[in-house]
Amino acid sequence: MIRHECLKLLAAKMTDQLVVTSQSGQRIEWSHLSRHEGNLLVGMMGCAVGVGMGLALALPHRKVIVLDSDGSVLLSLFNLATLGNLRPKNLVIFVFDNGVYSGSRISYPTATAGNTDLEAMARGAGIRQTLTIRDIETFKNEALRVLEQNELAFYVCKVEESLMHREIPRPNTDLAENKYTFVRYLERTEGKPIPFIGRG
Amino acid sequence: MKDQLAKHLVQGLKNAGINFVTYLPETRLSQIIPLIQDYPEMELIAVASEQEAVTIAAGATLGGKQAAVYMENTGIYVSSYSLLTVGKQLGVPILLVAGYLGGVPDQRNSFLYATIGSHTIPVLQGLGIEYMVLEDGDRLEEKIKDAVRAANALRGPFALLFAGEFSL
Repeated sequence: MIRHECLKLLAAKMTDQLVVTSQSGQRIEWSHLSRHEGNLLVGMMGCAVGVGMGLALALPHRKVIVLDSDGSVLLSLFNLATLGNLRPKNLVIFVFDNGVYSGSRISYPTATAGNTDLEAMARGAGIRQTLTIRDIETFKNEALRVLEQNELAFYVCKVEESLMHREIPRPNTDLAENKYTFVRYLERTEGKPIPFIGRG
Repeated sequence: MKDQLAKHLVQGLKNAGINFVTYLPETRLSQIIPLIQDYPEMELIAVASEQEAVTIAAGATLGGKQAAVYMENTGIYVSSYSLLTVGKQLGVPILLVAGYLGGVPDQRNSFLYATIGSHTIPVLQGLGIEYMVLEDGDRLEEKIKDAVRAANALRGPFALLFAGEFSL
């Protein structure tokens, strides 16, 4: 299964969901597939699930989707225990697990290339709706269906290592610019001011 | 900490607009946990690591909450990565409410915490995070409001380190 193909299917389903990405190839691919103002392209590994959880708790009526990677989840495994206890119903996490740290120049195996099973860890942590997806048909049927449900989901999508993100130009928006676009979008759609926006 | 001081502290957080608190408990200020639970308008979220306490608080702030993280000062070391990347780099205001264990004004300072305490302020300075050390209840509510206003104006974390009477 190719990550870009999954993201293309997902992008076609986006309406008013909030999407948080971690720093990895899918951040670059997603920024090209979706220009939605509800995208928060977090530029660091290990932070997207936490930020997504905070958004989901603050805005329980909005669907929040986190696009994460195996390396990033491995960096913040404590998130699983907190998720398993809080179980925010409006949060869906897709972990695109290619089994490698696949940066701009490197390609080294992660723990999931060995004995580690992220879905089993998530289930053990208390997350009830978990799945490991290995083909695009299952992604189309199961992963997209979960968007319509009202339950925390943690879906591990086993994907091939793809170098596509190395060829696509990185997003040309500054992190702060993306943040302000995102919070202005929330201000507009939620109809309430964000406390830290300056008054000029 | 005397019960009255704990109530004063929680009242100060509430009056400063704090309505979302992530936490990992510690010994100096733990009386505030049940007091925060008594306020339904303040959402209290237990976490497994201070690093996610910061990222969850950041997400809530972006979603319109005024968020605080309650932790031990050792949590500042644990969460320094997310404080720097999400707090500082992305520019998200978060109030840090930290027990200042092992700091010079910590009244229960001992050989166990002295090294931990002595590095807290240099680490905050290294991260570029402003801070205030609070040792008593004098003008407590005003100081908490000042800290929240500073965090919002700076668009980043601001640390309140609690010692002195708060550590008794």
